[in-house]
Amino acid sequence: MLQGVNRKIGLILALLSIGYLYMSYQLPTYPYIPVDADAVPKTLGWVLLVLSVALIFSKDSDSEEQKAKRRIPKKDVKALLGVGALLLIYIMLFETLGFIIMTVLFVYFCSWFLGYKNHIVNAIVSIVFPIALYSIFVFMLQIKLPQGILPF
Amino acid sequence: MGAIEGILTGFEVAFSWEGILFVLLGVFVGTFIGMLPGLGPISAIAIMIPITYGMDPTLALVMMAGVYYGAVFGGSTSSILLNAPGISGTVASSFDGYPMAQQGKAGKALAIAAISSFAGGTISVVLLMIFAPMLASVAISFGPPAYFALMLLGLTAIASLSEGSTIKALISAVVGFMIATIGIDPQTGTGRFTFGSMNLLDGIDFLVIALGLFAIAEVCYLVMSRHKSATGSGKEIGSLKLSKDDVKEMSGPVGRQSLLGFILGILPGAGATIASFISYIAEKRIAKKPEEFGKGSVKGLAAPEASNNAATSGAFVPLLSLGIPGSGTTAVMLGAFLVLGLQPGPMLMGDRPEVFWGIIASMYIGNIFLLVLNLPLIPYIARILTIPRPLLISLVLMFSLIGVYAISFSVFDLYLLLAFGVIGFLMRMFAFPAPPFILAFILGGMMEQSFRQSMTISNGSISIMFENNISLVLIILSVLSFAFPIAKSIWSKKKAS
Repeated sequence: MLQGVNRKIGLILALLSIGYLYMSYQLPTYPYIPVDADAVPKTLGWVLLVLSVALIFSKDSDSEEQKAKRRIPKKDVKALLGVGALLLIYIMLFETLGFIIMTVLFVYFCSWFLGYKNHIVNAIVSIVFPIALYSIFVFMLQIKLPQGILPF
Repeated sequence: MGAIEGILTGFEVAFSWEGILFVLLGVFVGTFIGMLPGLGPISAIAIMIPITYGMDPTLALVMMAGVYYGAVFGGSTSSILLNAPGISGTVASSFDGYPMAQQGKAGKALAIAAISSFAGGTISVVLLMIFAPMLASVAISFGPPAYFALMLLGLTAIASLSEGSTIKALISAVVGFMIATIGIDPQTGTGRFTFGSMNLLDGIDFLVIALGLFAIAEVCYLVMSRHKSATGSGKEIGSLKLSKDDVKEMSGPVGRQSLLGFILGILPGAGATIASFISYIAEKRIAKKPEEFGKGSVKGLAAPEASNNAATSGAFVPLLSLGIPGSGTTAVMLGAFLVLGLQPGPMLMGDRPEVFWGIIASMYIGNIFLLVLNLPLIPYIARILTIPRPLLISLVLMFSLIGVYAISFSVFDLYLLLAFGVIGFLMRMFAFPAPPFILAFILGGMMEQSFRQSMTISNGSISIMFENNISLVLIILSVLSFAFPIAKSIWSKKKAS
């Protein structure tokens, strides 16, 4: 029964809608309010459940181009995971080390990791852009970005 | 303030040196981002929002509007030169633009695209100037039921007009709406789906969703095509000159399709992509030599180019006069309005005429700038296409991260951005359209509010939705737009069997 992609996704969405519905029915209600805070979530939960079931039973109408989008070569999976890991490191250390240090490192290493070998251009871009953006935000727009361990 | 005074105020804003500067900046950035395969107007606007913090709202919006129509304008360059449309609105332009470029007439193709876009853009701004205030004056009498019905129509129309499966588009819209319910309910103060997290009490910021679903998800595809070089962008593009016959041939399609594009742009759910395809098909149907289409026809390129730009201005009609976006891109534009502390809608024309008319007036200048940028400078601008993808990916990620942090100052939102990036990537992978998601997310809160206001007025009776003629007609249209694709698929199945 669950061989097609649509069926698998439909089942996942149906489970999600059941979870959402469960939480919607836990929402507190108050008297004398014609439409309470739980009304719209409950409706949405039921609509999603119906649509998920419809998806399970619908024919796969995706074009060949769409199907090709699902086939990701192994090396690309590695590249995507690598960029994801770099992003996670960036976010984790962003406030501790500060915007400038982390962004310079991120832009340089992300470009290098994705195969850009011109180190001089890479270094210039990864230093100039973050510093320019930091200056615009902090000094022109008065929006404070984390300075981290740097004194400015 | 009367309409004439309003228009004059608008031109005053548009022709001030700051106005001219920001329009130029907007259309340049828009052309730049629109040209890059993968990144469309939604990403372009979302990336630019953080840069507008602290700016004068009128100038910021004039710039954002420039980014929008600039991106549609710029998208055609990569369609013609590389057969890799920068945005979906210019896919139809590649049908005849790319064959023309292959025949060594890339310059001519770019000139036709630029002139048609300019004409489409300018004709539709004139129409926008006429229709937006008319609609705003009607909409001023709209009550909550009419607003609810209007938003419902916007949602059902975009879901039913989306490419691919209607069920998937509807699921996308429902999930977008569900995400909008996260946070404190403004009417009762109940915390909904916050899982006890303080970070979710205010709900999720729209920029997190827009940048995650569009920019980050697009970056994922750029990562997969990172080794592709932009071949062809540096080659000779040939003469940009058009013959008298070319001009004569394109004048008919440009005139007709500008009008059609504008009308399609106003309709909820349609927009530049659908407008360009319909215009292409329409011109092919009425052409004396339809066999030339797809092989480098002047008409085949002029029609979608005029239409997609006209649709862009058309999309501003419901946004400016009703405050309701009809597409994913205008939904993000609405988000930009809200970030800047402005609420588009029928009151905008009276309360903030400089914003309402300033945006419209700036489009005249913007279209002229685009023509100037795209005609003599295009061989140089096209070099943008040779930016190494790894650098481009890193920079887009950097802009997205800084944009989200600068709006919330919360690392939690950066994690959310990453999560929505993954969701956006998976949605693309499994053919769930993202525009209904963002539209439902932005309209969700407003829809719930007007529904509950209506119910409070009627003391809980749903009949209020059908008592007013406007809301009744809009609800019937919503049902029809929902039922139409289902009926169509049943009909085609019956026909096939």
